[in-house]
Amino acid sequence: MRDSGKRANTTAHSPLSTDLLRRLAPRQVLTSLAERRNYRYDAIQFGETPLAVVLPENTADVVVAVKAARAAGVPIVGRGAASGLSGGAAPLRESLVISFTRMTGLRIDPVRREAHAQAGVVTLAVSDAARPHGLIYPPDPASFRTSTIGGNLAENAGGPMCFKYGVSGDYVKGLEVVDAHGEVHTLTRDAYDLAGLLIGSEGTLGLITEAALRLLPPPRFTRTLMAHFPEVGACAEAVSQAIAAGAVPSKLEFMDRACTNAVEDYLVLGLPRGAEAVLLVDTDGDDLETVEEERALVEQACVAAGGTVRRAGTDAEAAALWQARRSVSPALGRIRPQRMNEDIAVPRSALPEVVREIRALGDASPFPVVQFGHIGDGNLHPNILFDPRQDDAAAVHHLAHQIALVALRHGGVLSGEHGIGSMKRDFMTDALDPVTLDVLRDVKRTLDPADLLNPGKVLP
Amino acid sequence: MAHAVDACVHCGFCLPACPTYTLLGDEMDSPRGRIVLMKEVLEGTLPLADAAPHLDRCLGCQGCVTACPSGVPYGELITAFRGWSEPQRQRSALDRGKRWAILRALPAPRLFSLAARVGQFAKPLAPALPAALRAPLDLLPERVPALHSSPKVTRARGQQRGRVAFLVGCAQQALAPNFNAATLRVLAQNGIEVVVPDGQGCCGAAALHTGARAEALSLVRANLSAFDPGEYDAILSNAAGCGAGLKEYPAVLHGEPDEPQARAFAAKVMDVSEYLFQLLQAGDLAPPLPASRPLQVAYHDACHLAHAQGVRAAPRALLRFIPGVSVLEVPEGDLCCGSAGTYNLEQPELASQLGARKASHILSVQPDLIASGNIGCHTQIQSHVRRARSRVPVMHTVEVLDLAYRGEL
Ligand SMILES: Cc1cc2nc3c(=O)[nH]c(=O)nc-3n(C[C@H](O)[C@H](O)[C@H](O)COP(=O)(O)OP(=O)(O)OC[C@H]3O[C@@H](n4cnc5c(N)ncnc54)[C@H](O)[C@@H]3O)c2cc1C
Ligand code: SF4
Ligand code: SF4
Repeated sequence: MRDSGKRANTTAHSPLSTDLLRRLAPRQVLTSLAERRNYRYDAIQFGETPLAVVLPENTADVVVAVKAARAAGVPIVGRGAASGLSGGAAPLRESLVISFTRMTGLRIDPVRREAHAQAGVVTLAVSDAARPHGLIYPPDPASFRTSTIGGNLAENAGGPMCFKYGVSGDYVKGLEVVDAHGEVHTLTRDAYDLAGLLIGSEGTLGLITEAALRLLPPPRFTRTLMAHFPEVGACAEAVSQAIAAGAVPSKLEFMDRACTNAVEDYLVLGLPRGAEAVLLVDTDGDDLETVEEERALVEQACVAAGGTVRRAGTDAEAAALWQARRSVSPALGRIRPQRMNEDIAVPRSALPEVVREIRALGDASPFPVVQFGHIGDGNLHPNILFDPRQDDAAAVHHLAHQIALVALRHGGVLSGEHGIGSMKRDFMTDALDPVTLDVLRDVKRTLDPADLLNPGKVLP
Repeated sequence: MAHAVDACVHCGFCLPACPTYTLLGDEMDSPRGRIVLMKEVLEGTLPLADAAPHLDRCLGCQGCVTACPSGVPYGELITAFRGWSEPQRQRSALDRGKRWAILRALPAPRLFSLAARVGQFAKPLAPALPAALRAPLDLLPERVPALHSSPKVTRARGQQRGRVAFLVGCAQQALAPNFNAATLRVLAQNGIEVVVPDGQGCCGAAALHTGARAEALSLVRANLSAFDPGEYDAILSNAAGCGAGLKEYPAVLHGEPDEPQARAFAAKVMDVSEYLFQLLQAGDLAPPLPASRPLQVAYHDACHLAHAQGVRAAPRALLRFIPGVSVLEVPEGDLCCGSAGTYNLEQPELASQLGARKASHILSVQPDLIASGNIGCHTQIQSHVRRARSRVPVMHTVEVLDLAYRGEL
């Protein structure tokens, strides 16, 4: 490197990094300040600069790293693509970050309809590799071009397809996991379903190194439509009516006016800027008649609720609409540089009321509050947009708490798919009764007695 | 720079669009990582020398700009940062010499051509040379063609329908003189008079993007006085990198007294494919003769056309306009081929890995011909396709059109 001679003395020579450098290849251990500063954030927040970063290339490297951290008494934070939205991969203390982005081994077994993916495989890569065999991997978080399988399973990520096809965890047949002691386990879904326990545990119970994933043949036909509504509640009404009438769309996604405009600024697709709510729907299946019938049911429900419907004429048009939906969350950066992102899930019947109440909270606050989400599952992402240079963090936090309470009041939960992380940890005491919380703490203590794995996350 | 840094919501959507992240798999060599590094250097929490190796690896391909839903102007950011940081860099003598040579030779076609000829004789010695000197030799064609200069005015054939000014470019005059010759013929064929104004020179992009701001400014101003936008329907370039550079002039001169002049100039700048596509849409493009056999053309998106200028549909439409030609899409088509201006010379290893990766993706669709709209991509792809032992021809989009007009495709 041309500047190496002039490098400032910013390399951390902690006993841990010295030990790691002895046991692993130099390219696998990052110790310079520039490198470490880059491993302290995820997509929502910045944490402590780690003491060192390891980029393992196989499970044995992970074992080495865990044992070294354990010997040094340093906490361990697993990291995928750091696209997480709850602060999960941002260390709360000086830690060892284990970043899985170079563990990208992927093998498709077309006969058993399985993918064997190392933790760092990018979500979309699984479907891309499976497609030549006539198979797909349905879980499709909006971040699927970036996020990793390890991160998806640690957060039990969902996506538009999950309304009909289920979330990431539903596709796990087995996991390979390195525990807090550096031991390697192969977990299946039989009793006790320990793989299930690891799914959604946000790196606090073990590190996922590999997964066996179930693949499906893709539906033969897909139809896409967009509807827009003059009022948000009407959109929620339409969804409830369509489902009650017997439609099982594969995707049902909602975005409010501010979201639509932010995306339109990016993609210029001719989205209806004036609409208060935009609904995107896919119906799919192997029988064209049923697929079109289902689309007709959704159309009728939308029109009855006062909506205007537009069908996607071509695959390219459908693809553009879905790209629009996936871009919502980052496009909000055009409105304010920061956001507090929520991930509530409420019973579908309560949706119209919940959407209106959150809207009212937003209107009464000094912050723009926008809403979008997987409306089919009642999974909403209200986002509070703010500017950290001038806005009061406590006021943002207070509003976030109020929004969380709306969800809980209507029988909902705090996290549909993004996890608790550090962002929503404080609200856990509202969400769970003390007895259940104690059980969760017992589980954590049993698997990670020294509290080395992602400390300070999930459990209050 | 601050507003550009703040616009990043660190979502990571740009990671898969970044060639260096794709190769290296670490955050420091990703767009998001680089933005954080620039921010920290600007805020004084990180020494420049620590961040520099990772910022130097950035190709400036702007793949991340296309991928970013937040609208972070990464291209402007890295250019401004390089301009700001270059005077503070401490570089080795060899390094300084190399940069000086590049910045001198590129804008001077004669010098470049001479260097290329000398280099050509050095080619057999390549295995014995250090990597830094070997890389540029690898890219030289087997035969360096004679330097060809374009006539000052090329008259329209038939009824004149338009008048454009043409930037002849630097390196490509030496390496691929037929690009310009074909461009002039295709435009003339379509009733367009082409003027090559005196006093024009290098667009300045290479200097600007490597942080040599003073050099860049004088090149930019020379062009502003050579081209009077009021005189032409459009100012055309047939090199994606130069076209993108010309379109950047208002940003370069932002806040300077001649900014309005730069705006008027940039408003007229078009890539040759954009201009021809406009004619096509108006029904004014002369129909080419059919290809002699059905031809599958793999079209390669040059970063500075697709990402920097948003020109994707036009060249494809022009190729499809030729009867018998179909256009193939290349897997991973959004990822840079590794040529990226002077990158080949500064980061030979990464450039070579990217070139090999691109060649294998292009060849995977089994094309009869490869087309693109940029001299840098052209030499990079040609060199790596040949290394993969394929003889598939590599051409500029206008060369394909030109052959079709002449019935030689
Ligand atoms: C714009 C945007 C849109 C999004 N859309 C969706 C969406 O539609 N649905 C959805 O569910 N999520 C969504 N997300 C959130 C995020 O992409 C998901 O949570 C994703 O699963 C995170 O994957 P990752 O690889 O980035 O993990 P990271 O962010 O790196 O890590 C997430 C958590 O997993 C842990 N972890 C990572 N790898 C491992 C491992 N190998 N073993 C154990 N623990 C590990 C980390 O410690 C952390 O707690 C979105 C994010 C963004 C920025
Ligand atoms: S996509 Fe844009 S906002 Fe997101 S991390 Fe990259 S540059 Fe930042
Ligand atoms: S310009 Fe290209 S190389 Fe540089 S950060 Fe963006 S995508 Fe990566």
